[in-house]
Amino acid sequence: MTTIATKIGLEIHCQLTGVKSKLFCRCSSDYRGKAPNTNICPICAGLPGTLPLLNKKTVEFAAMISLALGCKLPDEIAFYRKNYFYPDLPKNFQLTQYNAYNITSIGVNGKLEYISSKDARIRRVQLEEDPGRLVYASGNMDTSVYVLIDYNRAGVPLVEIVTEPDFIDPKEVRMFLDKITSIIEHLEVCDTKLEGSVRCDANVSVDGGNKVEIKNISSFADVEKALRYEITRQRTMTSREIQVRSETRHWDDARKVTKESRTKEEEQDYRYFPEPDIPMVVLGSEFVSFIKQSMPELPDKRKERFMSDYGLSDHIAKVIIGNKELADFFESAIAVYLSPKEIANWIVTDLMSFIDERTKKEEEEEKEHSLFAGLKVGPEHIADLARLVDQNMINRATAKQILGQTVRTGEMPSALAKKMQANRIDDVSVLTQAVQSVFDMEQAAVQDARVNTNVANFLLGKVMKITKGKADPKIVLEMIQKKLKED
Amino acid sequence: MSLDTLHVEQVVQGIKSREFSIEEYISQIFERIEKVEPKINALVTLNKEEGLNRARRLDKKIREGKQSGPLAGVAFSIKDNICTKGMKTTCASKMLESYVPAYDATVIKRLMTADAIIIGKANLDEFAMGSTTEFSRYGPTRNPWDISRVSGGSSGGSAASVAALECTASLGSDTGGSVRCPASFCSAVGLKPTYGLVSRFGLVSYANSLEQIGPVGRTVSDVVSVLNVIAGSDENDHTTTTNDSKPTYLLKERNGLRVGLVTEFIKGADSAVSKVIYKAVDTLEKQDCNCEEVSLPSVQYALASYYTIATAEASSNLARYDNIRYGFDMNPEGYEWNSYFARARSNFGEEAKRRIIVGSYVLSSGYYGKYYMKAHQARSLLKHEMENLFQRYDVLIGPTMPILPFKIGERIDDPLKMYLVDIDTVVANLTGMPAISVPAGFAESLPVGLQIIADQFAEQTLLDVAYSFEQAAKVQRSPDL
Amino acid sequence: MVVTIEEVKHLGWLAKLEMSDAELQRYTTQIEDIVNYLNKLDTIPLEQVEPIMLKKKFSELRKDTPETFEDRVLGTAYMKDGFVKGPRMV
Repeated sequence: MTTIATKIGLEIHCQLTGVKSKLFCRCSSDYRGKAPNTNICPICAGLPGTLPLLNKKTVEFAAMISLALGCKLPDEIAFYRKNYFYPDLPKNFQLTQYNAYNITSIGVNGKLEYISSKDARIRRVQLEEDPGRLVYASGNMDTSVYVLIDYNRAGVPLVEIVTEPDFIDPKEVRMFLDKITSIIEHLEVCDTKLEGSVRCDANVSVDGGNKVEIKNISSFADVEKALRYEITRQRTMTSREIQVRSETRHWDDARKVTKESRTKEEEQDYRYFPEPDIPMVVLGSEFVSFIKQSMPELPDKRKERFMSDYGLSDHIAKVIIGNKELADFFESAIAVYLSPKEIANWIVTDLMSFIDERTKKEEEEEKEHSLFAGLKVGPEHIADLARLVDQNMINRATAKQILGQTVRTGEMPSALAKKMQANRIDDVSVLTQAVQSVFDMEQAAVQDARVNTNVANFLLGKVMKITKGKADPKIVLEMIQKKLKED
Repeated sequence: MSLDTLHVEQVVQGIKSREFSIEEYISQIFERIEKVEPKINALVTLNKEEGLNRARRLDKKIREGKQSGPLAGVAFSIKDNICTKGMKTTCASKMLESYVPAYDATVIKRLMTADAIIIGKANLDEFAMGSTTEFSRYGPTRNPWDISRVSGGSSGGSAASVAALECTASLGSDTGGSVRCPASFCSAVGLKPTYGLVSRFGLVSYANSLEQIGPVGRTVSDVVSVLNVIAGSDENDHTTTTNDSKPTYLLKERNGLRVGLVTEFIKGADSAVSKVIYKAVDTLEKQDCNCEEVSLPSVQYALASYYTIATAEASSNLARYDNIRYGFDMNPEGYEWNSYFARARSNFGEEAKRRIIVGSYVLSSGYYGKYYMKAHQARSLLKHEMENLFQRYDVLIGPTMPILPFKIGERIDDPLKMYLVDIDTVVANLTGMPAISVPAGFAESLPVGLQIIADQFAEQTLLDVAYSFEQAAKVQRSPDL
Repeated sequence: MVVTIEEVKHLGWLAKLEMSDAELQRYTTQIEDIVNYLNKLDTIPLEQVEPIMLKKKFSELRKDTPETFEDRVLGTAYMKDGFVKGPRMV
């Protein structure tokens, strides 16, 4: 069977939710939940006589993303007008960046390693503005006699990341998007959990055939689904010797299919030209070092630091930095009590399973919120738990039990431990008595134990039973072994 | 006393010294408007009630001994493409028929802080696209010197209202000569400042890389007084220079300067016009100026470059007029959006439509290198050539217009013929350099203007020459109306 | 160099300008004249001429401080529940 070569490229749009005002005006960039047309001003509403005022922070954030993706930053950046008409576009042109005549966008020619030894090439990174939102009166475009327009979102800053068609299957795309999410979160430029804050269009071709663009994919999670559908569609056509047309298709989220866009009678022509109201922005020779200095730590660097400074294993470090919240949680916990390996372990094994359990329950609703939502555990709880274990105050089994309760109630492990009287008996006299009782009761086993050291564990178990699990197993085992030698 | 004949400083002084009240002066202004406006049609909107109220308020302020601004009481007309909060701003277009801006342009804010009074909005060619004010929805503005002739454009209303004594000063806008052309045709003084000296925030964009708001007055002194209030960087306009946040210009004579008379300009003018200009040269030489003819070869590309860039930018700047957020009354229900947009936008005037199409053409796929990029190269060439000349000369001069004011309707059916009248003025817009038109005299009883151009941000030199010339030439100021 | 009616029609579609047949005819001839004139630009000697570009320093850009615009922004009477009413989509 011949392998059919698949080529996938991505166009990711990421809202800079981390900045406070819009890209070209002073309106708040936080438009979610506001009544329609209450978050606008003459500039973003496209009133006559207004001029765009470029937000400095957006350039910084976009530069951070560019550097994180290994891009080269030009000395000067410029903005271009993309001219087309649409009811959600207040000026009937979009202010964006364009490299066809000169390199003027914030980053070009980058590279991102997203699986070990697999790179995706980044063609460019650019800044552009989000349009307004269209709402259909009857909820459906086809049956509404008029459209309703809300400009609150118009002018919100977007960073567009365009890759080369370097992906060969949807799984790779998923991993790449996870990595992008991790980077964006670590840079604190975008809160990816907000609805619509990250969108992704994809283009795919099969076996050297025509490229099809897929638009309207509303979340990263849907990208894989859309791609799988489209690849199957194209392969089916190819196998029947039907040529795949070069076109733009829409992802229909409800029916989970890609649909042909309504045919346009005429060909669009964006007539790009440089925005005269925004001069070329000279970044300056110090700019790159300034950005590097003020940039938050990238996930890969953080992983390296966790491994070198805290001795975490590659696997554990990888899991922890996979999600910024997890990594922040870890660092907060070790700030309270410095026991990195112990704490990392608790996070990666037990805590993660609680999180996964809760996530599974919510899969139906596909809600994306804080990793720890619904769990009442904070870094101080894990730090406390680790301390109890390190200091041999409780054994692991008990610790797991305590964690389960903490997660539900938010009570501090040391408080719970006290409550359960889970503090181990390490009083030697009490323990000696217990050991003696067992030796008296289990004389046959004692004989066996003198020959077979493993049987000592059986005796240990008996002592734990008598002491209702409160004995310190380490001390008891030592006593048993000592006693076995004596007699 | 005819208070409407006073110049800016005379008004300010007269009010300060209590010779007359602001209310008296403004009332006379409105009387004058009532008398001559039916003849010249310079104003689109009158601000009578608020104008008089403001006059009374300012009078009270002065009586109470409070501090007043440098333009206290001075009556201004404002070209109707400059946004005035609460006052209709139509750009002489159906597309903005009922548009009332939610904000004041920066220049308006500055005028208001200086305590000036706006008596009305001045007529213009639709969206500032034209050279005669004939493309206005409200009919042409007639030349106060001969009402069968054009007043020039696109700031025809500004220049005519000043010349006809309907106001003491005006603000116009100049994209390819739109302040200087009507100033020349109406025998007024009109200045296009260096690009970036005056904020464009609130100026409805026609061609953003070329235009500036400029003052129009009856004397150079008036223009200086207004420039001092409106000039200076603005955080609301990224293209304003950050070099000088509040420049101040002086009114002074300066003799013995080096003057270059541009051959291409003088040779391209009608003989009636060039006669007056040569006389102006004599006048300057009598002021100890050294005048020489000098060539500016790149002028041959100037108009083509201007119309390429201007129409390209205009086609994009005018795209926002889809009648959805503001405009005129047309219910969107029942329309599919493409049809609605196209139907609404069919209400642009002919010249506006033509420029939108030409602009779309030069920007369209495949043509960018041929037109737009070449036009920018032409700008560069012109700029380098002029900068070289400014090493040898302090200013360059020539006629502002190659012809005398013509009859209304004469060129309206021939767009290209109309464009050719801008040949002398577009150079300053393409290079961003400051240029002024001062009355040079009359030919066949019609005004001729002398254009003076200086290097970027050399307004003081420009004004010095203009003032020196004005004082020596003593050209009549007001028409019989 | 000929500018055709078809081209002008297409540009009218791009620019969302409805034109009558009479207008199309008139404009096409006028625009052809204008474009022919603009072809003068072809005669510019093609030396390496750098276009003049306005520049601005990164430090001079607008600070990221949000501000609410208090006055009424939109000027249309056609609104519903705060949304602007527009013509229907296809």
